[in-house]
Amino acid sequence: MTSPALSNELSRADQWFGFRLTVPAAVILIVLLALPTGLTILYSLHDVPANGASLGPFVGFENFSIVLSSPVFWRSATVTLLFSIGFVTLSTAIGLAMAILLNQKFIGRGLARALLIIPWATPWLVIGILWKWFADGSVGGLNAVLIALGITSDYHDFLADPNTALPVTILAAVWRQASFAGILLLAGLQTLPDELGEAAALDGAGVWQRFLHITLPWLRPALATVAVLNVIYAFLQFDVIFAMTQGGPGDATQVLSLLIYRQLFAVTQIGLGSALAVILGLVALVGGLITVKLLYRGHVQ
Amino acid sequence: MSIASEPALRPARRTASGSRDRGRARSPGATIAIYGGLLVFAIWILLPVWYLVVSSLITPTQLGVKPFPLIPTSITFDNYLSVLTGSTRNQVFGSTDAGSRLLPAIGQSFFIGAVLVVLDLILAGAAAYGLSRYPFRGARSFELAIIVTRVVPAIAIIGPFFVAFRIIGVLNTPFALIISYNVFTLPLAIMILKNYFDQLPREIEEAAKIDGASRLQTLWIIVVPIARPGLVAAGVLIFLEAWSEFFYALVLTNQLTVPPLLAGFQSVQQFNWNALAAATVMSILPPVVLVLLFQRHVIGALTAGIGK
Repeated sequence: MTSPALSNELSRADQWFGFRLTVPAAVILIVLLALPTGLTILYSLHDVPANGASLGPFVGFENFSIVLSSPVFWRSATVTLLFSIGFVTLSTAIGLAMAILLNQKFIGRGLARALLIIPWATPWLVIGILWKWFADGSVGGLNAVLIALGITSDYHDFLADPNTALPVTILAAVWRQASFAGILLLAGLQTLPDELGEAAALDGAGVWQRFLHITLPWLRPALATVAVLNVIYAFLQFDVIFAMTQGGPGDATQVLSLLIYRQLFAVTQIGLGSALAVILGLVALVGGLITVKLLYRGHVQ
Repeated sequence: MSIASEPALRPARRTASGSRDRGRARSPGATIAIYGGLLVFAIWILLPVWYLVVSSLITPTQLGVKPFPLIPTSITFDNYLSVLTGSTRNQVFGSTDAGSRLLPAIGQSFFIGAVLVVLDLILAGAAAYGLSRYPFRGARSFELAIIVTRVVPAIAIIGPFFVAFRIIGVLNTPFALIISYNVFTLPLAIMILKNYFDQLPREIEEAAKIDGASRLQTLWIIVVPIARPGLVAAGVLIFLEAWSEFFYALVLTNQLTVPPLLAGFQSVQQFNWNALAAATVMSILPPVVLVLLFQRHVIGALTAGIGK
């Protein structure tokens, strides 16, 4: 609606009015965001003393080269990548399935859509706490269900086992994020005119063909938004893993945000931690941009 | 007023559901598939929630039974009583005072959320209206910058916050969180409200201008009442983010709000899962009830622009 042409037509006085309305929020954001971001970048280039009172000696990119040559970093980066792949694909796929299901006509649809909201409205940390105990090896409900279904025969401590800890943290995070994806995709589906599907059905298109050639292309912009958000949430995830495993067992679930937290507040290596934080920020930005590129490619026609 | 603006917001949805209501025959197989899918969906969402609620309603002895009693034979409200009063009877808490700190933390979380809602609705409302109706040179770049802020990791800016707050002496006060939460609540509110103002019809504002109302009068007397659904939605989302925030609260305060307090409970040996479950249920209720109450506005604002 606000096309560039329109803004050219606005008088100077009108533009000045809009500018003045925006200035307070803009100033606050610059002070609270740009300033600390700049400082963190400065920190990453210095050997900052543990009390953080001064910058300390300038060391150039030494912090970055220490980080990039550290096996701990690469192990943590691998865990972050594995977590992200599982989180993004499962959240998006389950979200899409739930959206398609809840877009059908059935009794109790309003109630089902309200259910969809619950995981999204639950704080991330609480999801971590809830799933930590749900997957617990002695009082957990997950074990009870798996035994009742005959899938396992004995109690298993999923979060103490390095092989199952990461999948279970992914599952917990997906439980929340799939609902968020479902809410957004359902909104996208609701704008899809029924006539399109009906016309295709008359032409003899099956369910799968209609999904592939009508639903999916229609949802493309919504899917792009969802995927980008999922990628960002994946790289920046902290709460769920902090509550469930604190990075353990060993370093099986130590994603980058947790590693940075340790560097900054447990061993107080502020310079190294800041270099790590800059790397994580860049990775999240690049990941988001690549996702946008991939999903919008071929969409512009 | 708000009713009048609704059809303009979601015209496509009306037509879509309208034609669906006319109904078309569905095969029995499809019906079975849909209700089967719904069963799986309900279990997926409700099983963890059910586990949480049951845990909060049974005794530690019942919890110790294997397998976990998904349908308990008897229930008790002792866990809620103990986290609300801090009572140590039944040896629920051992020697800690953790339980007595839940209500104060809930109070702090409410206070911080409420202050942020008022503050950010004023700041973001003004900015979003300016961006929508009076785009100045650089307005577009500012909007893009707002979107980019979502990628800045909290962990990348927490260090400078910690140092600055220690210097001005607001560490471990609500102000530390009221100030720092603007980092994500303010951009969120601006994006949502800008989207909302863009979709509001401009005719009334133009009529007001012809009648001689000033720009500020128009904003206050005409736009704010019409925009109430959008303001409510943005307010709920701001509150939700503030209520849920854990990381800043962990670093900048000593378990001042609910999430870091719950995380702290986890590391207290004597504090058992029954009591923690009761505290957790109480921490979920405010955001879930709030969102369900304003469901239509909130989801509408959250998903505006999706599917276009």
